[in-house]
This record gives sequence, C-alpha cells and structure tokens, in this order.
Amino acid sequence: MMSPALFLLALITLVPFFSIIWMSFNDVSLMGGLAFEFSGLDNWQRVFTDPDIRSSWLISLVYFLATVGLEMVIGTVMALLVYSLTRGSNIIISLLLIPMFIAPVIVGLLGRFMLDPSHGLYAWLLNESGLFDGNILGSVGSAMVAVILMDVWEWTPLVALIVLAGLASVPEDTLEAAEMDGAKYGQKLLYIILPSISNILLVALLIRAMDAIRFFAIIFITTNGGPADSTKIIPIRLYDIAFRFFDLGYAAAVGITMLVFSIMVATAFTKLLKRQETSS
Amino acid sequence: MTQFKRRDILKGMGGLASLSLMGAGPLRTALAQGMASDEAWKQASGTTIQFISENTPPTTAIAANLASFQELTGITVNITEMQLGALVQKVALDFGAGRSAFDVIYADPYQVLAPYHRGLVDLNTFINDDQQLVVPQGIEDFIPSQLAAAGRFKDSESLYTLPYDCPTMIWIYRRDLFEKYHDQMQQDLGFDPTPSDSTTWEQYYQIAEWFSQGNASEVQYGTGHQAQQYDSLMCDFSNVLFAYGGDYFANGQQVGLLGTDSPGACQLTSEPALEAARFYQKLLKVAHPGSTSWDWTGVANAFQNGEFAMMPEWHEFAGSLESSQLQGKIGYAPLPKGPARSANLWGGTGIGINANASAEKQKAAWLFLVWATSPQTQLMGLRSEVGGGTPTRQSVYDMPEVKAASTPPTDMPNMLTADTMLTAWQDDHIGLRPKIAQWNEVDTVIFTELSKMLAGQMSPEETMQSAKQRIDRIVGA
Amino acid sequence: MNTSKRWLPHTLKIALLTLLLLWTLIPIIWMVLSSFKSNDIITAGTPRVFFTPTLEHYTSLFSSGNSLWPYLLNSLFIAGVSTLIAVVLGCMAGFGLSRIRIKGKQHLAFWIISTRMAPIAAVIVPLYLLFRYLYLLDTHAGLIVAYLSFNLPFAIWLMTAFFDDLPPDLEEAAMIDGATKLQAFRYVVLPLMTPGLVTTAILCFIFAWNDYAFAQTFSGPSTQTIPIAAAQLLTQTGIDWGKLLAIGTIVVCPMAIAGLLVKRWLVQGLTLGAVK
Repeated sequence: MMSPALFLLALITLVPFFSIIWMSFNDVSLMGGLAFEFSGLDNWQRVFTDPDIRSSWLISLVYFLATVGLEMVIGTVMALLVYSLTRGSNIIISLLLIPMFIAPVIVGLLGRFMLDPSHGLYAWLLNESGLFDGNILGSVGSAMVAVILMDVWEWTPLVALIVLAGLASVPEDTLEAAEMDGAKYGQKLLYIILPSISNILLVALLIRAMDAIRFFAIIFITTNGGPADSTKIIPIRLYDIAFRFFDLGYAAAVGITMLVFSIMVATAFTKLLKRQETSS
Repeated sequence: MTQFKRRDILKGMGGLASLSLMGAGPLRTALAQGMASDEAWKQASGTTIQFISENTPPTTAIAANLASFQELTGITVNITEMQLGALVQKVALDFGAGRSAFDVIYADPYQVLAPYHRGLVDLNTFINDDQQLVVPQGIEDFIPSQLAAAGRFKDSESLYTLPYDCPTMIWIYRRDLFEKYHDQMQQDLGFDPTPSDSTTWEQYYQIAEWFSQGNASEVQYGTGHQAQQYDSLMCDFSNVLFAYGGDYFANGQQVGLLGTDSPGACQLTSEPALEAARFYQKLLKVAHPGSTSWDWTGVANAFQNGEFAMMPEWHEFAGSLESSQLQGKIGYAPLPKGPARSANLWGGTGIGINANASAEKQKAAWLFLVWATSPQTQLMGLRSEVGGGTPTRQSVYDMPEVKAASTPPTDMPNMLTADTMLTAWQDDHIGLRPKIAQWNEVDTVIFTELSKMLAGQMSPEETMQSAKQRIDRIVGA
Repeated sequence: MNTSKRWLPHTLKIALLTLLLLWTLIPIIWMVLSSFKSNDIITAGTPRVFFTPTLEHYTSLFSSGNSLWPYLLNSLFIAGVSTLIAVVLGCMAGFGLSRIRIKGKQHLAFWIISTRMAPIAAVIVPLYLLFRYLYLLDTHAGLIVAYLSFNLPFAIWLMTAFFDDLPPDLEEAAMIDGATKLQAFRYVVLPLMTPGLVTTAILCFIFAWNDYAFAQTFSGPSTQTIPIAAAQLLTQTGIDWGKLLAIGTIVVCPMAIAGLLVKRWLVQGLTLGAVK
C-alpha cells in the first residue's frame, strides 16, 4: 500500500538531495549547461567562517523564536477564548482563520500597503497618535518587529486551529470535579487543560517550526533583508547566493546546513513529544 | 543586387520618406514603405518566438501593439513580463539547461549581459549579412553611449543587444515651489537656487535643508531619496560618487561602458570616494525619513503626494508624475555637479537574441529586434497610453513632433525631459556602473554597507573600507 | 462545553476576543475596502474611509489584456490535483506505515517528514534541471509534482498519525468476517477517516495554493498561478495597488467561505489525528 507513494517521494526528494550534496563540493557554473569544478571543502570552509552567514543565523534564530513563540502563545489564547464561547463560535473561528488562507506573498504586500510611510493606514495611525514617527520598514529594529508581526498575523490561526481541536478532548469530568472543589481558572488551566493538550501543542509547534526556518516570502517582498541587513534571515541570504550571485556550490552548502538544523530541531521536538506521551 | 538597392533606399531616402509619413496613415503602411519591402519582413513568417522582459513601460507599449508586428511579418510573439530578479533567475536557469525557452531576451547589461554574454548572438552577423533586414537608419542612429553600454561587452566590436530602453537619473523638482520661493531662497542661501548646469551638490544640500526648516508650507522636507537597502540605494549613491570624482574601479568609465572580466582593485577608499560617502551621509540626514524604505517607485509616489520638493529620480517617471495632480508643476534638470562633474546614472537595457535558439527562430527574433527598436516603434511608445519609454535613437529626438512635445502642453509627457536627457547622455555627463560578471554580488555589498552607514552603524570611512574589502574578495583582486 | 462558560471573567474574555478580531480583520477589511478605490485615492497621504467606489480594478483584472482567469484556474487545478494525489497516496502510505511492524519504522517516518524540511532555494536548481530533462517545465504536471515534494511527506505524516489513533481491531474484525484487507480498508476504515482526510486535504491545498517560489521557477506562460499574478504587479514603475488589493479580495472571499463550510470536519479531524 505504501510503495507508489514512497517511490514518487523518493524520486523527487532524493535526486535534489544528492545533487546538492555533490554541488556543495564543487564550484558550479551555469553557462552553457551545468558545469562542475571540484573544489573540495572550499564551500564548507566558507560556510563556517563567513561572518555574513553567522549574522544571518543569529537573525534567523531571533525571528524563529519570536514568531513561533508568539504564534504558540497567541494561538493557544485564541483557541481557549473561542472554545469558551457558547454562541457564534463558528463565525468567529472562520473570521479568525482567514489570514492563513492568504498567500505569504500577498500578506507581505498587504503589510507594505499598511505600513507605507506615504499612504499606509497603520503608519498613519501610529504617526497621528504619536506612537511612532519614523519609517517602519526602513528603520532597523522596527522593520524586524514589523515582519515578525506579519508572520504572526498569518500563521497564528493555524496554531489556534490545531489547539482548538485538542481542547475538544480535554476530560470534562476532571474539569467539573476541579470546579466543584473550588479551583480557579488559572489552576484549572495549569494543572488540567495544558497537560492534556500538551501533545497537540507539540504537534502545532512541530508543524510551524518546520516552516519557520525556510519560509522567507514575507521578508523577501517587504524588506528583502534590509535595512542594514537587519532582517536578513538565512533563507534570504541563500536565495541571494543561489539566484543573484549564482554561486550554486556555496548555496548548496548553506542549504544543507539549514536542512541539518531543521532536522535537529525536529528531532528535539519529537523526542519531547515521545516523552510526553509516555508520561501521560 | 536587389538587396543592394534596398539598402540604399533605406539609408538614403527611405528614412526621410518614412518620417514624413509619420503623421498619416496606419503604422503598418508607414513601416512597410519606410523600412523595406514586405518581402524582407516576411522572411520568417509563421514562426512563434518567446520574448522575456522586465515589466517595463516600453514592453507594455509593445505588447499592446503586437498585432501590427504580426500583420507585418506573420510572426507570433509571446511576451512574458516579470520583475527583473525573477527574469535573471529564469534566464540563467535557461542558459544552464542549455536550451532556449526564450528567443528574445531583455538583457540587463549588468545582470544578464556581463555574466551571460556568451549566450547571446553577436548581432554583427545579422547586420553585416545582406540577406537580413537592415536596421533602419543604421546602428549609428542609436545614441553612442547607450549603444556601447547596452550592447557591448569587453570589446568595441561585438554587439550583443540593441538599446531598448534608457531610464536615466536626473534632478526632478517642484518648479512651482522653486519659482514661488525663488527670491526668498536666493536671499537666504546666497545663490540662485534654480537648477542649472552650475548648481553643485553642496548647493543641493543647502536647498534641501532650507525646505526642511519649514520655510515652505507646501512640503515638509527638501529632498527624498530611493535609499532602500536595494539596488536603488547604489544608484542614488553612484550619482554622488561619480560627481565627486570617485568610482568603484579604476578606469571607471571604460569599465562602465564596455565592461571587463577583471576590474582590478576596488577604489572606494580613495579620497574622492570618501568625500562622496561623507557628503551622502550628510545629505540623507536632512532628507525625508521615508527615504530608507523607498525604492524608485516609493520615492516617486511620495513626491507625487507632495512630501518633499525634489529628488534624484529616473526620468521615466515623468510620464506618471505629469498625469497626477502635479501636472505642469514639475521641473527637470541634470543632476548637480560635484568637484569633478555632473553624473547622471544610466539604467538602460538592450534586447538580444538567445544563441541557443534555432536558426529559424533567430531570424524571426532579429526581425522583432529591428522592429521593436525602430524609430517608428519608439515614437509609438512615446504616444502610447499604456506605457512607452524614451527613445534610444537620435533621429526620434530630431523629429519635429517630438521636438514640439518637449514643451508643455504635450501628449508625450516623457519628452518634457528631452533636453535634460540629451545632456545627461553626453559622454561626460553619463554615469555608468561597472559592467562585470560579478556585479550582483558587488551591488549587494555596496547597498548593504551603505544601508548600514545610513542607519548610523558605521562611519563613512568604515563603510567604504568594509565595502572595499568585500568587493576585492569578490572580484579576486 | 458547559463548564467552560464561567472560565474567565466575562468582560476580559470579550475584550481579548475583540482585540484578536480587530487584529485579524482590520487589514482584511481595509484591503477589501481599498480595492474599490481608484489608485490616486489609495495612495493619497491621508487614508479615507468615505469615497466614491469604483469597480475599475476588478474589471481590468478580467479584461482580455491580461485576465486573471487563467491564473485562478491554474491555481485551482494545480493545487487541487496535487492535493488529491497527496491525500490518496498519503492515505495508502499512512495506513501501511501505521499498521506495519518493522524495526526501523520510526526512522522511516522521520525521514519522510524530514524531506519536507528542504530549503527551497537550494533544491530548486537540481529540480529545475530534472524537470528540464523530463520536459516538465511550463506544464501543469510539473508544478503538481513539485508541490507533491512537500505535500506528499506532509500527507503521509498526518495520515499515519490519524491511523495510529484508530485501533486495528475494527479492520481485523472485518477480516475475520471474511473481508480482504483492501475491502476492510475501503468499507470499514476509510469512512471513519473522513475528518482526517479532509483535514489533510485542506492543509495540503493551502500549502500548494500559497506557494510562490516553485511556481515562479517552474511555470511558464501557460501555467501561471495567483501568487505570480500578485508579484507581476510589482512593475518597474510602481506597485499597482488597486489591482493587488482586488486580487487579495478575490482570493480571500472564497477561501473564507470554504473555511466556514468545512470547519466542522476540520476540528473533528484534527482532534482525532493529533491526540496520540
């Protein structure tokens, strides 16, 4: 039952995988067909010594922690709120889910539209209220905050959705018993609800984490790594190396490091998931 | 021998005949009578060719007028337009696969021509071949600096593209405000603020500062710039750099005009370059704060909204600016001069033929190339409602109706800049960035480091030093 | 659901919810509203709420020059077929993987999901050349295959989780009664899997529908999708905001409605699948 799927999967994943491993040990050029010039460990040496790559990783980590962190927290809060509604939860959920259906490219452009110094609604509001006078996407610091918030805007509903599903399986009787014992909301939350949805939380975390490292469409279309390289996460630098400088061997090396990092993160989270399973 | 006669007629009388027919009759008739017999045009009838282009005004105008080309030649053209970055990616991948998905290529001199010139056909084979359609007015009609900058690489013989569009940076300003406050400015500043060919960058700065001090109620700031961490920042800075006598590499004008494989060591730490960097930092401090998030479209949009009084900007924005509420209030001039000269950065491109295409398609592509860059098509582009750029041919500028259109009221708003442009394209006024294969990487270094300088993270000296180090590594100096 | 009513002080609940709704909806409302403004009002310095609406952006989007229809149809077709294949194959693979008793099972599952973590920009070049030689460029099939490269592992992973949740007793009982494994699968297991299938399908569809990188690289003139249409509006001389907002509105509305309709299945599905 598995074979056709696995065969297709193998073809379209193994071929690129082995290609980029081979490319990372070569100097690759595109002119007149793909040409390889063996360069040994040159690209690999560069990957680990290039200060630009290092700073991109740092920025990526900040971006990763901020977006995934905020999405998990706000998503869970959103789910808890909707779950506790007695009426209208259908409509409210549908409204809250809309952002995740919009392509990241369009979300980025919408973000630019709202933050444009000349005619953006948010820019105007911030200016009028005196909260922020400058140029949001053009100033170091605020640009990073802006792209993080755009990502959060788009993907929080995904987390909320998953958590909401998990909340449906929280044991009612335990909750009722706790309530009759006089437990307050905070206590119920901490000792009953969160533990029973901990698996779900980890699933949501895993799904988002996998993508948070590689997705770059929003930053690409809003700041493209600027200003002053302050939002230049590693996938954007990879795109530059691959498709603006056409240094494909080096790009392959950078790509492999990203893959390794993702696998490490996913392994860590999965181990966590297994441990939670056995303990609950 | 019939070919011989055709060529004579063309070069001699045909040209004039076609021009006089401009005002009357359908385009097809004019083309057919002016350029050559139908036979020559129908050589590749029935073929279909693919044209990949940046989504730029001349292509929009041509796309709207393809029917006339089809009628004339029987060739079907499919145009794919996209952002320049995406185009470069697709073209490079196409060359990498060794096949030809696109027959006619919008060959950006820095991102396509320099690295991939071997993938383009040397057009001399078509120009010197008697069997092929002749370029109307000859290639000498193209403005010389543009022909070399767009079409040649490394040597002055091979020609890879025909100049297609030519956006160039000039000084665009609110003429109404300059007129209104002229006397007051003259008194406060001590010089005549009206842009002229003796205005310096230092004076530009003082004018900008004057506006930013709130002296005019209409605008809050004096100058706006396209200083986003993007190619636009490099373009904006280059005007200042060249004006101060600095350059990216030694022998800058040659490296910019013809291009080279080995530009040598980066020159950004020379004293003139440092001067330029210091000045640029100073200038951006009094500029509209939005500048660091604007590319060329952002700054044009803000100018249109009346947020500042002047800007260095690509002249092709004249078209859209003149159809906004600022119509008639805008002035155009070459950019101010620095200690060395006045430099106006050129950003044009040519179109070329994919060398991997079949001989049949190449022939069809050549016909398209000739048509798309012909005087008639360029005139049509000027008049077009949907787009159109500015002509790259001297003969078009000499046409009476074009000359008439360079003063308002006009139906060719881009021509209001005509006088400025013709000055800007002179060899001592034109600004040319290095045409090298590694330009993308070098460009990225330049605008990234400059962006850090503008964000206050590095001093101008540190910025230029850091840029030089990285650039030297990239070009292998 | 009854005890949940008095979890939070009511006002705090309403306040937070309103905040979240505003946060989510203001950009969307502004986008929809602005899509009916003419370009000069859109880019005016002061945002305006009252104005004379115009349909010019919508009409120009569907005019003969560069109509949005092909983009829409391409997006729907490609994402739809890719999703269908991913779900079908993923379902079969998920069932197999769930029921199989081999030693390296966890590793196999992990390898499958790790293929989805590949950084896009790095794999595009080898994929491009592969597609070139297989004549898959500028074809619908090509993009479908490209999307399968990340949807298939995802579908297998999710479906495996769903099947893990379903005890094998049901199909074993059916087989004892004389059914073949295939019949048991089709008539007993599959109906119970509907929520899971729908969940997987929707998520796969979203990822395929939203993709820009693959679409831009592997598509040609006849296989352009919506994200490409949006990106094309970034011209050399400016962003055509009006058309862009119109495209955004067109994309959002059906998606929102679809979300409403299948929300029931979605929540149920994720419940079954995610709780391990």
